[in-house]
Amino acid sequence: MNQRTIVVQRDVQADQKADAATERERLGRRGTLVVNLLSSPGAGKTTLLEATARHFAGRRSMAVLVGDLETDRDAKRLSPLVPVAQLTTGGACHLELSLVQRGLKALGDPEVDFLFIENVGNLVCPASHDLAEHLRVVLISTTEGDDKPGKYPKMFRTSQAMVITKLDLLPHVPFSVKAVTEDAHRIQPHLKVLANCALDGSGIASWCDFLEEQHQQQLATYHEPAGNR
Amino acid sequence: MHERSLIRSLLRQVEQIVAVEGGGKVTEIRVQVGDLSGVEPLLFQTAFDDMVPSVFSSDCRLALEIVPVTAVCSECEHQFEIVDFQFRCPECQTKSVQVIQGDEVTLISVSINSNNSIEGVAS
Repeated sequence: MNQRTIVVQRDVQADQKADAATERERLGRRGTLVVNLLSSPGAGKTTLLEATARHFAGRRSMAVLVGDLETDRDAKRLSPLVPVAQLTTGGACHLELSLVQRGLKALGDPEVDFLFIENVGNLVCPASHDLAEHLRVVLISTTEGDDKPGKYPKMFRTSQAMVITKLDLLPHVPFSVKAVTEDAHRIQPHLKVLANCALDGSGIASWCDFLEEQHQQQLATYHEPAGNR
Repeated sequence: MHERSLIRSLLRQVEQIVAVEGGGKVTEIRVQVGDLSGVEPLLFQTAFDDMVPSVFSSDCRLALEIVPVTAVCSECEHQFEIVDFQFRCPECQTKSVQVIQGDEVTLISVSINSNNSIEGVAS
């Protein structure tokens, strides 16, 4: 018997990360900004997407891939407004790139300005999976408590923006915007913080302006002549 | 339980390595898990024990090492360990720090038992 040890030193997700980078580049080149939305269940991802769709109606095109363990309830809510595909994980706690690609295919690979991925409601597992997004946004509702960033550091560390939702409930719940912002900035100092109430529409314009700005900034590299990159 | 998905990727990589190496019995897979990787070591081990027999022998061992989160300051280049997820340089207090270790799950090495060399001699 010949016993030997082969030294590898390779990221376990290296293949998935390379595939995600290729998909991100493909979608970015044709002008689609991919936004991965993550949060606990019930933080208001679907309601925010409904408000976003209404704000962008007639001006910007968008499509949504909705991840859930079971049912197509969220997809049914969004389908009157935008093209939407349901991704049912059948019990899995997060989405993976292969599911996103399946969803894109089901939609006929639409050429939209924004592709939103509504991830499975979970502040843990989705943080470890690159879905080819250009922008990762974590939502936190005022009803959840302002102590979440410190409890789920990877989710906040890997996001570029945090959206505080259900702002209308602020007078009724023990939630401090200052405390949650400080806690999040301790983990990710560059995190952009936005707040809104999707039901009455307050803060939605700022959220959509932020998305427009990200679209312009993040996709600019794809439009430069090859020599400038 | 995304640990199962990571184990699936891990075993796929090891399978490829064994194929390139000409086969053999995998005895140990060494993996480093960072404190910021989002992986729970106990669940990772459980998922491994559950899934490894379908690909390799069930006596294949998972050697797990936990890696603390290490960062370097973009201003003063001080290298330090991140404690309690405080992403701030302890020397110059700047918040512009780069994580250099501790956010990945890395396959370090694969140990294989094979009788390739004996076959080589016999033929």
